[in-house]
Amino acid sequence: MRPVKKQANQVDFPLSIDGLKNKLETEILNSQDLSFTVYKQENKQIAVFYIPYLVDLAKIEQQVLSKLLDVQIDWTMDSILSEIPLSSGEAFYDVKTIIDKLINGYIGLYGEYENAIIMYEIGKAEKRQLEKAETESMVIGPQIAFTESLTSNMNVINWRMNTPDLAMEKVEVGKRNPKETRIIYLKSVANETDVNTMRQRLTDLDVDMIEDIQMLKQFILDSSTSVFPQFVASELVDRSMYAIKQGKIIVLVEDSPSAFIAPSTLFSFFESTEDRYFHWGLSTFVRFLRFLAAFVTLLLTPMYVVATTYHYELIPSQLLVSLGESRAIVPFPPLIEVLLIELVIELLREAGARLPTKVGQTIGIVGGVVVGTAAVQAGITSNILIILVTMSALASYATPSYVMGNTIRFVRFPLFILAGFYGIIGLMFGICLLVIHLVRLESLGRPYLSPLYPLRLADFNKAFFRLPKQMQNERFLSYRLKDKQLFNKEEATERRDIDE
Amino acid sequence: MKVNLQIPKGEQFRSFYMFFIIASMQLGVGLIGIPRILYLKAGHDAWISILLAYLYIALLLFVMLYILRQYENTDILGVQTDLFGSFISKVLGTVYIVYFIFYILSTLVTYIQIIKVFVLPNSNVLVLGGMLLIIAVYTVFGGLKAVIGITFLFFIVSTWLFLLLIEPVQQMDFLNFLPVMDRGVTDILRGTVATSYTFTGFEILFFIYPFVANKEKIGKPVFLGISYFTCVVLLATNIAIGFLSPAQLERRIWPVLNLFKIQTSPIIERLDYVAIAEWMMVAMPKVIILMWCITYIAKRIYNLPSKISVYASASIILILIPFFNEHFKIQHLIDNVSMVSYGIVYIYPFLLLPLVILKKKIRKNKEGK
Repeated sequence: MRPVKKQANQVDFPLSIDGLKNKLETEILNSQDLSFTVYKQENKQIAVFYIPYLVDLAKIEQQVLSKLLDVQIDWTMDSILSEIPLSSGEAFYDVKTIIDKLINGYIGLYGEYENAIIMYEIGKAEKRQLEKAETESMVIGPQIAFTESLTSNMNVINWRMNTPDLAMEKVEVGKRNPKETRIIYLKSVANETDVNTMRQRLTDLDVDMIEDIQMLKQFILDSSTSVFPQFVASELVDRSMYAIKQGKIIVLVEDSPSAFIAPSTLFSFFESTEDRYFHWGLSTFVRFLRFLAAFVTLLLTPMYVVATTYHYELIPSQLLVSLGESRAIVPFPPLIEVLLIELVIELLREAGARLPTKVGQTIGIVGGVVVGTAAVQAGITSNILIILVTMSALASYATPSYVMGNTIRFVRFPLFILAGFYGIIGLMFGICLLVIHLVRLESLGRPYLSPLYPLRLADFNKAFFRLPKQMQNERFLSYRLKDKQLFNKEEATERRDIDE
Repeated sequence: MKVNLQIPKGEQFRSFYMFFIIASMQLGVGLIGIPRILYLKAGHDAWISILLAYLYIALLLFVMLYILRQYENTDILGVQTDLFGSFISKVLGTVYIVYFIFYILSTLVTYIQIIKVFVLPNSNVLVLGGMLLIIAVYTVFGGLKAVIGITFLFFIVSTWLFLLLIEPVQQMDFLNFLPVMDRGVTDILRGTVATSYTFTGFEILFFIYPFVANKEKIGKPVFLGISYFTCVVLLATNIAIGFLSPAQLERRIWPVLNLFKIQTSPIIERLDYVAIAEWMMVAMPKVIILMWCITYIAKRIYNLPSKISVYASASIILILIPFFNEHFKIQHLIDNVSMVSYGIVYIYPFLLLPLVILKKKIRKNKEGK
């Protein structure tokens, strides 16, 4: 550690105006930006200084300068503090703090030969308005998304859940550039151990600075070797509200437009808040569709490799004829063929994600035509494989969580290779390893596969399917919450008197 | 070596999972071949042999639970230490380790043999064995929680295999079972003895008992576990006897796989290939639990870190796998393992019982004075 020279920055006020100006200009890194104006009245001088792009100039004009230049005011410290109609006025005595405040959007006032500098917070942060969610789209339901401003995010949450029970704990994360981080949960519901674990992990964090919540997520997850995301991150306010209501914890970071939810299970990545707005039958169907899609993504093309490399007997004879015809001209072994096409699809996806929307569409069409038709005609792949690859790519986008969709697509690659080398046994080996990995995984110390393991049948109705509303009267029991019940089932289903 | 164990709360599990542990320990590769072995011994009265075996095992489990309940919270090693002293207990623990290693070996080589005969004739035995052992090692490193989780999940995921028996059931000939009690009592008893290798696995109760959180409820899941497995064996054997003709059944080493072959589906023609791959999920829990058990015993009697014992036992098994590359050698191994299991699994608890009772009486007398 470098020895910190504390005394060097201590300034003995009073200073002359010029002395202060010199001092500030030597200390501030970007001194050319500093606006330093001196006003004179009779025999007194007062300096007003700020960094113009950080403050609200109109407000300075209205609240500070107009009052200051009013003849009635005496330019002494006390009278300035009492006369200027801003609540944040404070006196500071050392230049280091003053510079710190200046770059945080403060304005400084200094009457010549006074003992301290008076500072007001008139900061103006460039922030965007609350907008519709971009990455997680919903057809029905509230679509409002978080923004980069923590204050407005907290504002939104507080307005939507107006209860004194809502805890918003403040933790500073980052050594060089501490960022305000909030742990938000329902005090009377959330599991205390989970909250403590989260607080512990955040305060123990020894990092320089974090730019985004996705980074913070990577720092505090349970197993950094796993490709599986261990916390659901969402930009939808709605999703976070639902999580809080269910007794989970969400974390918000200053300057990051999303929240992450902890603890999360594997199955919560297949949930969409939209499920709650549909009829339970419909949302159960959609939920099953998503699980099916995940299986299709994972297994369809590896099964193709298995069947075409080793076990032709697996395929019914009629299908085998057409498959054989289209495979006959392909010069590569199935594994190479599949890897080639899968890589092309991944390239298309990646290129499409990085390009502007309009060009992205073109890429999609070009890719579709080239891969779909030309590759088959040129005899590089069989057309059945094109169908399978497209299907599994399509299915991977049915996962509501973009990160989880990517993970599933990534996990397929080892499965192809195992299937290519050891047929159906290799594929099964890969699946077994995957299951073992998932069993061993934890999210905030809670099992990743709950409620499947440890088994809790009562929670199946949230994780896998949905039941009619009156049967969903309990929170997620696997997390051992303080308050388990959402409402009383008997009261909700009680028959009412005809006169009532 | 301490007699009674203090298990931290984080490592305990609910007795509910005992059902899956017991059932998965018994399920394994033995099930695939049992119909033929039983038929050779007891003819079409094999079902009586199975029921007799079930009754014997139920009695045995009752005795085992009785022995364990005499102590506060212990396993068989603790009981042996209490009865015979530390040294003999260590020797007996080592016998268990060796027995379990050969038990794992017999399971793995049989499964590899099945893979080689049915699915991948040109595959390398060492690679297949290595793959299976990687699964076991990776799970055991996750601790008992992961071991039980895998046992539970693999059990649930592999239950669809029963669907493959629908077609054979429809084509069964019930006349194959008549007349009842055709063979004599000796043949039926010989059949009961022949089931020993298939039915072993419940001895895990002796080791896993201290980890159960609610011990007062352990009886039900344990007995349901062996009942479940007995039903599976009854089903497999009776369908095989009913579906296959006597001559066919006598010549097929793995009749259950022949049954799986009958069922077809519109998307996948030969479901028995999938079934053999899926059998990995049926056979592996047994290997995983036994592997965990080896590390547990090694830690308890030699204070060996689990990392060393896992790698050591896995490499010993891997080295031994290529030596059992032909069917008669594997059969020889299985015969030997089942010979040992008569002693260790089927008779030993009955020998322990009077000693435990005696010891308890002596202790009571001492306290009385």
